[in-house]
Amino acid sequence: MKLRPFLILLAVMVLLAIPWLVSSSMLNAAIQMLIAALFAMAFSLLCGQAGMLSFGHAAYFGLGAFATVHAMNAFNGEGLLPTPLLPLAGAAVGLVSGVVAGYFSTKRTGVYFAMITLALAELLHALAPHLKGTFGGEAGISSFRMPAWGFGFGTAIEVYYLTLFWVLLAIGLLYLLMLTPLGRLALGLRENQRRLRFLGYNVHALGTLIFAISAMFSGLAGALQSLNIEAANYAELETHVSTVVLLNSFIGGVRVFLGPAIGAALMTFFGHVTSDVTRVWLLYQGIIFVLVMMFLPRGIVGELVERFSGKRPAGEGIRLSEMLPRLAGIAVAALGGVVLIELLQRVMSRDYRALAAGGQWPEITMMGLSWQPGSPLTWLVPLSALALGLALVLGVNRRAAARREATA
Amino acid sequence: MSDPILRLEGVHKSFGPAHIIRGVDLEVRRGERHAVIGPNGAGKSTLFHLCSGEFAPSSGRILLDGQEIGGMKPAEVNCRGLARSFQITNIFPGISVFENLRLAVMRKHGLQFTFWRRVSRLDNVTQEVEGLIERLRLGHRAHTLASQLSYSEQRSLEIGMTLASDPKVILLDEPMAGMSQEETEYTVGLIREIAEDRTLLIVEHDMSVVFSLADRISVLVYGEMIATGTPKEIRENPQVKEAYLGEEVAA
Ligand SMILES: Nc1ncnc2c1ncn2[C@@H]1O[C@H](COP(=O)(O)OP(=O)(O)O)[C@@H](O)[C@H]1O
Ligand SMILES: [Mg+2]
Repeated sequence: MKLRPFLILLAVMVLLAIPWLVSSSMLNAAIQMLIAALFAMAFSLLCGQAGMLSFGHAAYFGLGAFATVHAMNAFNGEGLLPTPLLPLAGAAVGLVSGVVAGYFSTKRTGVYFAMITLALAELLHALAPHLKGTFGGEAGISSFRMPAWGFGFGTAIEVYYLTLFWVLLAIGLLYLLMLTPLGRLALGLRENQRRLRFLGYNVHALGTLIFAISAMFSGLAGALQSLNIEAANYAELETHVSTVVLLNSFIGGVRVFLGPAIGAALMTFFGHVTSDVTRVWLLYQGIIFVLVMMFLPRGIVGELVERFSGKRPAGEGIRLSEMLPRLAGIAVAALGGVVLIELLQRVMSRDYRALAAGGQWPEITMMGLSWQPGSPLTWLVPLSALALGLALVLGVNRRAAARREATA
Repeated sequence: MSDPILRLEGVHKSFGPAHIIRGVDLEVRRGERHAVIGPNGAGKSTLFHLCSGEFAPSSGRILLDGQEIGGMKPAEVNCRGLARSFQITNIFPGISVFENLRLAVMRKHGLQFTFWRRVSRLDNVTQEVEGLIERLRLGHRAHTLASQLSYSEQRSLEIGMTLASDPKVILLDEPMAGMSQEETEYTVGLIREIAEDRTLLIVEHDMSVVFSLADRISVLVYGEMIATGTPKEIRENPQVKEAYLGEEVAA
């Protein structure tokens, strides 16, 4: 595959050019996307490569974030380290907390492992409000990026490049890790811990180490977050953070190397664009997750890699004559679904229900159109779009299955 | 050097009320090929589990090279030079054959927590794995996922992973089960070669294999060793004939 280095080079060049290509609001979104991508990669080292599903990665992200604001505020705001090196503080705290948490949680596997990670994260979340000095209470802790090495770090562009540097470095290191004996053993942990034991490996120590490395890179992601928003907040320790990184990673595909990063970047991007337009972004996120898990169980990137890697038998590649109608069907169904959800969300909102209680069903303006909730047509049109789109996809799938059957 | 490399003294194992191993004494001599035979459910696999650290004995001692290993963890036992294969195939299904064997080979090179060297640059590891793959006749399958191998290919891989760590003592639990005649013959040759300068303890159901391969044979029946001796002695032992071999060997 000579294509790969070329693609990587291209991607890095695009990333370097981003500040010239997008608006300042988008640049902020890009920073968020990079941080989410790194966090997902760190999470997936543990979950995808080593097969240990953590429900509590918010803890290491949050500890990295808080460590970094403290490092920024150290010496009366002079900072423990020059600004570009501050993420090291987050990484260090992530590593240390990862060693401790990893030691306890990797004593168990499967569901019990997941429960311990969840419990540890919840423990931290419950403790944090009582430790005002460390976690700043309700308000969190704010800080300030100091100029260093001739850079002011006052603009989003500087923060973007600083973030980009650390994210690329970390992803590069994670890639190299997978090529080392320890990285190969991570796969062994996922595949068969018992066999590893009988081959003479210290499975508990290996698990702890992989956990700690994952926590270290999660802490680094948290640190970048603190640098970006010049604050750390108690909300970074919430279960929600652990859930989002998990969903993002699986949507991208936890077992392909860049899958989690791409999944997280995509979902963060969608979140950014849609959060202004809809109030139910989380619902869409959930729906996307369920659909991806049902129809693309390897994740978006995992599935693409599978299709294009040529591992499939002939005749199972991509056929435009099937892919185009399928995509069209998905688009029509999605449009219908989105209209339905948005209408429902508005009709069921408190304001509207108050109005409707008076017996009237006033019209709703949405997507530049006005909709009459009282009229059956309002509901029938999106419903039939949803049904038609789904029917189209199912029809194409059935034909494709029949064709495969015939050729087989 | 005539002291036994593996020695079991009065070993018992109970699972709750089930008394499975009922006082086993066994001496495996340095460098010999020793077979354990016995009817299904006699406790042969349990005996291997006890020697390899899967279970701790309820009482009695297990000595490897004079040192107690009974109750040690599997990894510790392995590091002391005892490796085993499993009756129920126990491999890494989701990675390639090459990768399976590489994990098995790496340990003895002291590679465990190494995160500063590329595994592909460790030429001695790669060469060893490639050599092993050839000997296992899995060359054409090197980059196939282990889960996609045929059953007998998986059995070969299982044996290969046990041999990979260059142990002093090898325990093979029904290695040839499920192999064709030709595969069995080839594998017996391979085991013979590899056991050349090692000690082998093998459980096997195929009596022609047992009698041609083993220097000595022990017979386990209902958790008790009823006899140990050369193939000739075992064949002629009336107690064994009655308890286990019956017409099979007489014929
Ligand atoms: N973990 C266990 N718990 C309870 N009974 C067991 C366990 N393992 C094996 N046994 C019992 O011990 C007996 C011997 O089993 P095993 O050692 O597998 O026999 P063999 O390998 O000689 O066919 C069987 O009756 C089996 O049911
Ligand atoms: Mg058995």
